[in-house]
Amino acid sequence: MTALANAIVIDNIGMVFGAGLGAVRALDGVSLEIGSNEFFTLLGPSGCGKTTLLRLIAGFEQPSTGSISLYGQRLEGLMPFERPVNTVFQSYALFPHMSVAQNIAFGLEMQRKPRLEVQKIVADMLELVQLTGFEARKPAQLSGGQQQRVALARALANRPKVLLLDESLSALDAKLRKEMQLELKRLQLETGITFVFVTHDQEEALTMSDRIAVMKNGKLEQIGTPTEIYDFPRSRYVADFIGETNFLTGIAEANGLRLPDSQWLEVTHSRPPGSSVDVAVRPERAQIARDTNGLNAVVREVVYVGTDTVVYLEIAKEVFRVRMQNHGGAAKMVSVGDQIKLVIPPNAVRILEAES
Amino acid sequence: MKRSSLVGRYALISPAAILIFVFMLLPMLLMALMSWLEAGQFGGVKWGSYTPEAYLKFLFDRDLSDHLVFNTDYLSIFSRSFQLAGITTFLTLLTAFPVAFYIALQTPKHRTWLMLLITIPFWTNLLVRTYAWILLLRNGGLIDSSLHSLGVLNTPINAMYTPIAVQIGLVYAFLPFMVLPIYTSLEKLDWRLLEAAYDLYANRWQTMRRIVIPLAAPGMVAGCILVFVPALGTFFIPELLGGAKTLMIGNLIQQQFGVSRNWPFGAALSFALLAVVLMFMLIYALRFRGKGSLTQ
Repeated sequence: MTALANAIVIDNIGMVFGAGLGAVRALDGVSLEIGSNEFFTLLGPSGCGKTTLLRLIAGFEQPSTGSISLYGQRLEGLMPFERPVNTVFQSYALFPHMSVAQNIAFGLEMQRKPRLEVQKIVADMLELVQLTGFEARKPAQLSGGQQQRVALARALANRPKVLLLDESLSALDAKLRKEMQLELKRLQLETGITFVFVTHDQEEALTMSDRIAVMKNGKLEQIGTPTEIYDFPRSRYVADFIGETNFLTGIAEANGLRLPDSQWLEVTHSRPPGSSVDVAVRPERAQIARDTNGLNAVVREVVYVGTDTVVYLEIAKEVFRVRMQNHGGAAKMVSVGDQIKLVIPPNAVRILEAES
Repeated sequence: MKRSSLVGRYALISPAAILIFVFMLLPMLLMALMSWLEAGQFGGVKWGSYTPEAYLKFLFDRDLSDHLVFNTDYLSIFSRSFQLAGITTFLTLLTAFPVAFYIALQTPKHRTWLMLLITIPFWTNLLVRTYAWILLLRNGGLIDSSLHSLGVLNTPINAMYTPIAVQIGLVYAFLPFMVLPIYTSLEKLDWRLLEAAYDLYANRWQTMRRIVIPLAAPGMVAGCILVFVPALGTFFIPELLGGAKTLMIGNLIQQQFGVSRNWPFGAALSFALLAVVLMFMLIYALRFRGKGSLTQ
């Protein structure tokens, strides 16, 4: 990270809305650095403060405490129109009285770019978002996906140093959203602009991001690449929010955990003996078998989901899911009520931070 | 089947059609007919004797030898009326827009209260409220006496019975008619568009000019029509505040049916006014044709 130039440095930002008893702390001591040309995602459920953070970068809100700088320039006191940052809004916020071309040209005209240059950029942008020929249309005459692409073109036309995207895909249907995810990633690579993307959709975050910041109640929970976040979740919250996970709780002993039903789970850890430890295991990292060493479990349900089969097991009075690929034929050997062995490789077990 | 449904359809619209015919079209036709008749000696008209005299009287006088002489008296009343109504429209637009904008920015609960304040004057008769302006504007009235006691002025303000007094009265009377339609169009405005404009490097003034005003334009135009047309035709505001010196078309028409007893001339004046107003409406309709959908 240190080798890359930092596009955005967010230093100890706090944000409080309202005052007195009704005050809401939207952000609490958030510090993070976003690298140049990075596709950075703020991920979390609604109300976690991710949109507030984005609005602070755009300049629509002023932080209660802390500072934000952009390529070394402090942003305090700068109005949104004074910041080299553009936003793609959740609602797109296209100007309804202007044509597609006028919408895209708006930011350039406000910066007093020469007319010919504006025309050229508008044409380039329309080509980039594959809407050539739609110049004269009004936003009301476009589909949701087309409006989304106009909003994107309108923001990108200004060649901002940073592009902010506020849940920009959430209004689209699933198929279009998938297409736009790839499209956005392609545009980010083509333009080399730093993207800061806000979403509550973990799959979207994993697909597009270089790095993800998972947020919870106005605080950062974990920052990392999609692989890091998925494979090494730090807390129960992150593990639960990203993908499917099984949780087990046991009492720490040397080289393993004693589960509530006295079974032994082997794992290396550094917790003091006798303490309660939460662990997470991804469903696809565990296996089931009959004639090996493993944990005793009972098959409660077998669900076929196309490429995979998900087997729901009961172990230590908890539900444990195992996801198996169907092409190996392994799933065929289990049926409901079977007593089987659950094999969890020690390197698939993630020790979670104790909940505060 | 088809025939009966057609009859049914006519039956359904007939109450409205009859109402419009009896209370709108018929009186208008009567007025049109009257404007082409000779005036009766004691008011009313002489039925059957047709003459364009009433329309000629608007532009010409007859000298002693019965020649037509061009006379600008009535034209000047028309032009003064247009001037007063035009300035009224301009001033109300200028004051109403910030008011409507401010109200539209408030929380829904506050908006309701503020809109109530705007409409409260309607609960009292406009005639009474215009009389109240006499108390304010006359020499020795509230404004005059407070300016004197503050030592700002030591001569009487002499505001009553001037075009300025009429202008003040007109702006006061018609301001709510400008606020309401502008507020209605601003209330529907998506404020996120303002953030988008800020985000795209537009400062406050550019955002106002390029985003807010174009989107509020239908309300502003509606307000201008709602103010300009009735302001052109008012008669008691100039009568009470302007005295005999600041006649408007409304006063002139009223006089023809009252003291002057020249009903045909009154009818002709009304039609001349109607023609001008319709012309304005036509220009508006052509200018904004098919653009109504933009506000949605």
